[in-house]
Amino acid sequence: MSKPLPKRASVVIIGGGVQGLSVAFNLVEQGQRDILVLDAGYWQGGASGRNGTLIRPGFASVAWTELFVLTVNEWQTWSKRLGENVMFTRRGYSVVSEAEKSEAMLLEGLKVQKSLGVNSWMLSRREIDELLPAINKSRVRAVQHQPDGGVAPHHAVMKGLLAFCQRNGVDVRYRTAITGLERTGSRVSAVLVGDHRIEADCVVSCAGPNNPDIAAMANVPLNGFGMRIEAMALEPTRPLIKPAIALIDSLAYFHQTSRGEVVGGTEVPERPRMSLKVDVPVMANMAKVYLEMFPQLGEVRILRHWAGQLHASSDYAPLLGEHPDLKDFWFSAGWSYGFAGAPAAGKLLAEAIAKGRIDHRMKPFALDRFEKTGPIVEGGIVLA
Amino acid sequence: MSHDNQHAEVTFFWNGSCIKARQGDSVAAALWRAGITTLARSRKLHRPLGYSGSYPTGVLARVNGRPNVRLDQVRAQEGLVVETQNTWPSPRFDLLKLAQLLPAKAVYGGFEHGAWMPTSGLGYRLAERAMANLAGVARPADVSVQPAAVAGERLSVDCLVVGGGPAGIAEANRRVQAGETVALVTRGDRLARFADSFGASLEPLSPQVRLFAGMELFGVYREGALMVAAPHDNTRGAVVFDPKAVVLATGRRSIPPLVKGNQLPGVLDAHSALQLAAVHGVMPGRRVAVVGTGAEDAIAARLASLGVEVVHKGRVEELKEIKGRSRVAAIRAAAEIRCDAVVHGGPWRVDPSLGFQATGEGMFQVQAHPLPETMSVVGAAALGDERISAHRHLHPDTLICPCMDVTAGELYCHIDDGETDPEVLKRLTSCGMGTCQGFPCWEHMLAMLAARIGVEPEAFARPTHRPPRRSITVAQAAGLAGLVEPDR
Repeated sequence: MSKPLPKRASVVIIGGGVQGLSVAFNLVEQGQRDILVLDAGYWQGGASGRNGTLIRPGFASVAWTELFVLTVNEWQTWSKRLGENVMFTRRGYSVVSEAEKSEAMLLEGLKVQKSLGVNSWMLSRREIDELLPAINKSRVRAVQHQPDGGVAPHHAVMKGLLAFCQRNGVDVRYRTAITGLERTGSRVSAVLVGDHRIEADCVVSCAGPNNPDIAAMANVPLNGFGMRIEAMALEPTRPLIKPAIALIDSLAYFHQTSRGEVVGGTEVPERPRMSLKVDVPVMANMAKVYLEMFPQLGEVRILRHWAGQLHASSDYAPLLGEHPDLKDFWFSAGWSYGFAGAPAAGKLLAEAIAKGRIDHRMKPFALDRFEKTGPIVEGGIVLA
Repeated sequence: MSHDNQHAEVTFFWNGSCIKARQGDSVAAALWRAGITTLARSRKLHRPLGYSGSYPTGVLARVNGRPNVRLDQVRAQEGLVVETQNTWPSPRFDLLKLAQLLPAKAVYGGFEHGAWMPTSGLGYRLAERAMANLAGVARPADVSVQPAAVAGERLSVDCLVVGGGPAGIAEANRRVQAGETVALVTRGDRLARFADSFGASLEPLSPQVRLFAGMELFGVYREGALMVAAPHDNTRGAVVFDPKAVVLATGRRSIPPLVKGNQLPGVLDAHSALQLAAVHGVMPGRRVAVVGTGAEDAIAARLASLGVEVVHKGRVEELKEIKGRSRVAAIRAAAEIRCDAVVHGGPWRVDPSLGFQATGEGMFQVQAHPLPETMSVVGAAALGDERISAHRHLHPDTLICPCMDVTAGELYCHIDDGETDPEVLKRLTSCGMGTCQGFPCWEHMLAMLAARIGVEPEAFARPTHRPPRRSITVAQAAGLAGLVEPDR
């Protein structure tokens, strides 16, 4: 039903999620042609269609904050550049602390953010009343607010990216799993789909939880492992919660979508596994958080609860760049904030691939950082 | 229950009007008796929706300040305040109904996909705000309604039977006699509602079976090792079962006919129509048409014996259209027949959700597999699925998914464009992502997709069924915290 796969491509991108399509889109803008995107699943079937869609510029470390300042700036230009409405809405992002220790961490992070020009501050009690009228104030110790943060619905984003790519000659194939990678000397040279061989000048792995498998196909190591993470949606109601919210102590994040569902997730300590099944503890813990923080949600029913998978690196920071052991083999991997970070990652990788320029904001996330400079310490992420 | 009690009347409020109900009536039945059949409005075009037995969306309303309460599951009580949702500025004077005048294509993909949405700045934020109010459907609960977590319980049994029909009762009794500890979960407030309203004689449930009535078993976790149920009454706690064996006796449901008008108030599945007539003494309509896949004669005969005037009975595939504006007014089969209710008994299909949840696996496509040895299926649920007859050219206004207001026309836009992956169609249109949890919408979507491109519906992978099937509130779920340890 579709035309046969090409025999050659200048860039083969493995993974047609938000990372892969962002790389493709940015490469097109850099003038690259002959781009092929291969995805083993269906459109939005991976983490790109299952995540919380939260976006914010400010974290607690310089490396994360610089990367995410870039990503928020990129988000603001995407609708125009793609010619499609990605519906990025700067409705603000509030990081809520419920304990002394996390408050101190937010105050420290604020200093980093200020030094990098991020618009953020700690909300006064009156501002909390105005911005978060429905929150249970007795549980709130401090709120760091980032008005430039917000959300972008993944269906609009993925639709926009795919439409742009298809309009601009990028060959995007879903339900097409790669089965092997070929190396010639010290570089990667081809991608195999069953018996079919596709010669490539460059291969970019944006395969989410399957990145370690892709690395293994080329016989190179990659930090981290795939694991599931769960989220759930409540049935739609009219607006109750305006900004996107992260609860740093409860390890929960959520927002209310533009169609009314409160969507969010939380973490429970479990054995990491690759699965799309859900379990009771996350549902119960997330519900407890909602009930305690927004008591009006107590009567709302849970509409759906799902699992998605991500590639957790040892420091939960992304792995961006060329593989140190294999030339022309690039990664946008290790993401746990990948939806938010995709615009920055796409831009930086495309520049690196097309122009050979490694931006200073990408350097800290190099694949070999664990051996060379050590892991990135970031206290402002909602993961443990 | 005393004789007086049965006929005692209660008064409740529907959008400010007093409605008299009999003690024991559900609100939906009481409203039906009062001639009120439009209970809700669809989210995009504000089409009238009502009690159907197929789509919970049609019976969701605001009750005593709580949003999205199922009117077929709440008893009419003195002074209850019930209001229609998704109205503006007020339930009595609703300007949003004018949305029906919009061309259908204006809302394909939902408000949020509209090409008219500004892309950034204040314009977008205002549009988003308006959209959120339109799409949100229900107002959040009143501030005065602030529940605490409702403590759940955990229960180990030898056998858990899901379904309180004759097959479930027989299996539960058999297991109890064999010395097993048995729990039985049923959605109904009583056992065997359908069989009973059909006039069948019933085997009583052994008192040794622990009965959980008025509860929905919504979640299968850890391959069936944990099964979780929540009571419709959300002031009661949810229950986590650890069963050694599970018996699914969930029966089959009649799938609404795949024709234009199938969502109109007055279209009822046989279960609901018989409930109305036999239990509540309410006629499903003054002139009733019965369609089915073989059961129509028996259903028509039973309805007639309960005093219902049946004006047509016939095969469902001969039905071409259901006509009417706010309620069924006629059907078009071989000829046009005036009627105010359509009762469908077939095609009968098994809600695949629980089995899917137990066995669904896959990295890139979750697919159901054979049930584990600890789970078995009895009764009608073991009979399998009947085929849904779908015309290749459905009228574009045929509603496929009433919850998300998705029509055949909207799906055809994508299918005719070459997009035939059900997972992608689901994501492009939100078909099957509403409160009914994809049953029966995905049956309809797969049937119409297959007919359109000329393949068998079984050729497609089903979208993923997941817990919790919209039956547990946040407060009930919070009451489960700590009952189940994370799987380390």
